[in-house]
Amino acid sequence: MALPPEPIEEVLPSAAWVVEAEVAEVLATGPAPPKPTGVRPGATSVGYKAAAQTVKLRVMRVLKGAPTTELVVEKPVGAYSLKPGNKGPFLVDAAKTILGRYGPDSWHPDRVKQALG
Amino acid sequence: MPIRFNDTSLGAAYSTFEAQRRSNPNLKLGQEQVLQLVALVGDGHRGWSASKVASELKKPGLSREQQLALVKGGMTASEKLDLAAILDQGTVPLEPGARQFLEAVLDRSSPQPPPPPPASNGLSISGDQKNGLSGVTKAGATIEAINISTAPTGRLHMDDTAVIGKADASGRFSMAKLTGDQAMREGDLVRMRARYADGSTSDWVTVKATGIAAKDTSNAAVALFRIGLTDAGTGKVSVANINASRQVSEPGAQLQFTNLRSGEKTKVTVTETGGFPEGFSLNGKAGDSFSVAASDGVNNTGFTELVGNVTVPGGAPSGRDLIPDPALHKDELDAAGKPRFSKATFTGPLFIDGARAEDVQQGQIGDCYFPAAMAAIAKANPDAINNLVKDNGNGTYTVTFKEKDWATGRFKDVPVTVDGDLWARSYGGPLYGRSANSSDTRKMELWFPLVEKAYAQWKGSYDTIGNGGHSSDVFEAVLGREGQQMSIYAGNLDRVFDTIKKAVDAKQPVAAGTYGESEEARYTNSGVYADHAYSILGYEQTGSEKYVVLRNPWGESEPSGNGANDGIFKLKLQDFAKLYQNVMYLN
Repeated sequence: MALPPEPIEEVLPSAAWVVEAEVAEVLATGPAPPKPTGVRPGATSVGYKAAAQTVKLRVMRVLKGAPTTELVVEKPVGAYSLKPGNKGPFLVDAAKTILGRYGPDSWHPDRVKQALG
Repeated sequence: MPIRFNDTSLGAAYSTFEAQRRSNPNLKLGQEQVLQLVALVGDGHRGWSASKVASELKKPGLSREQQLALVKGGMTASEKLDLAAILDQGTVPLEPGARQFLEAVLDRSSPQPPPPPPASNGLSISGDQKNGLSGVTKAGATIEAINISTAPTGRLHMDDTAVIGKADASGRFSMAKLTGDQAMREGDLVRMRARYADGSTSDWVTVKATGIAAKDTSNAAVALFRIGLTDAGTGKVSVANINASRQVSEPGAQLQFTNLRSGEKTKVTVTETGGFPEGFSLNGKAGDSFSVAASDGVNNTGFTELVGNVTVPGGAPSGRDLIPDPALHKDELDAAGKPRFSKATFTGPLFIDGARAEDVQQGQIGDCYFPAAMAAIAKANPDAINNLVKDNGNGTYTVTFKEKDWATGRFKDVPVTVDGDLWARSYGGPLYGRSANSSDTRKMELWFPLVEKAYAQWKGSYDTIGNGGHSSDVFEAVLGREGQQMSIYAGNLDRVFDTIKKAVDAKQPVAAGTYGESEEARYTNSGVYADHAYSILGYEQTGSEKYVVLRNPWGESEPSGNGANDGIFKLKLQDFAKLYQNVMYLN
């Protein structure tokens, strides 16, 4: 569902890591979530969701959190999916789940850096 | 006997102070004025102008040693004589700190008193704040500060400090200033600490600014949107700061809550952390509204000027709710079905500079088709928006939609009247559709959020409109003509472009929708989002290249390389066709 990303200030406190990273590998993909019903053709914002994924991130830069060069993280069921080569700022919580409604496309990299101060 | 200056600009500047002294016999030159003077002699430094030197001298974080080096680096021998004359023969007295600075510029062994030891907490502040903050801490420490009188209405935490100065080798710092929204006014509270070389910090020190103006005229600011009221069920309403890491108001300020139903007034003093005392409550019940007034002890001591109203969620609205409001989307209800958000009354102008696409910003609701359509209409035909919504002058607004009468085949008017109450986010601004200045209930341009609210009212609730839809339905509802949808595929690109071109040229709105189901992967990193509607604002044609100009109704987030992140971007027609499944327009 194409809602705007959550305000980064609400999400950032939950981030154990903020990294600039690239998806190196999709390790696993969960079951397809149920589809919305009664959708008229051509409608938008109907709430399609992509399956959860387990992905390996190649970390280029750590902006917050313990230094690392690789993270294996969960992409929850949601409005986006990842494939190798996707990159951007990833906010990851202590349980290694990617935060932000659109993962690396949730916020412009400059906005992330600004929020980190 | 007047001083004969070698440097004419220095002489002219000093003459100005002499003239001021004649009309104000109490005038003394402080650190600020002396920096103005020495900037005029430091202008030989790297070929800088005097104004550049002055600006460098006042840079936050510059130590006294660095200031001295800057001045001495550009000073000539004759200018040195001029400064010596000001010290020894000047008719305008110097404040002690200013005199010591001039003596240091001239390398005189002044009888400078040793700095007082810093307070036991590591930081002490001295004097007034006429020329900024001065004090003593450990040598080389940086000085961090935040204006906690202005911070509440922003989004700052109480420790979101700015570096405003640096202590010199003796531990002194002076002229340290906050700037911009944080600039100190008379009576403001400034929270400060020193950060030492090893990264540790002093204790916090809070200073009430004095000496800046004759009178404290700035009342305590209040973040109304952080005041959370909860019906405690026993005739009491619990009051809390719903974003406890940020302030509701400045510490020590008094807030007065007046129950608009019972008239009962209750005062509370804001705590040191900018919130409410633990367990603070009001007499009231769900649906009650309270007006809020504030006083910093100097301004508005009679609590006659109101900041605004806050309402206890749930229950029947109090008598102040002019029109019953559409219910929240189901995602914003708690497990018991009660709203997780409160309402705020917005009283800003309906239009600031007419209706513009840029006024439209989608909120946290799945109705992208609606703001995409409204922005497209605002771009193509702003008069249609002006005619759509009217201010009734009594706190209510009437939005007149169009609906097809299936008996006659014609469109008929459907007037919907709403008030300015909008569901509000904990950190301020509307939860759903909003416009610029959204965190200020008195300034936000209202037309878009009110039209969205009226649409929700008409259709049943925000939940009814917040689970997807078609922009063409909104075109119909606003303009009273049948909407159309055209699918995009490889074989009809020219037809799609012609349709867009004709609509744009005829000043008719157009929108486009992206793919949803199972197509999310194609969008990641593209700058375009799946299952989403976009306004089409225009087209461009350069030779054989055709482009579509689009706008994300979020008012931000777009493919890279499209200038400011304002949601407006253009795509080549071929790229547009890969990412969008349809265009919507009027028949």
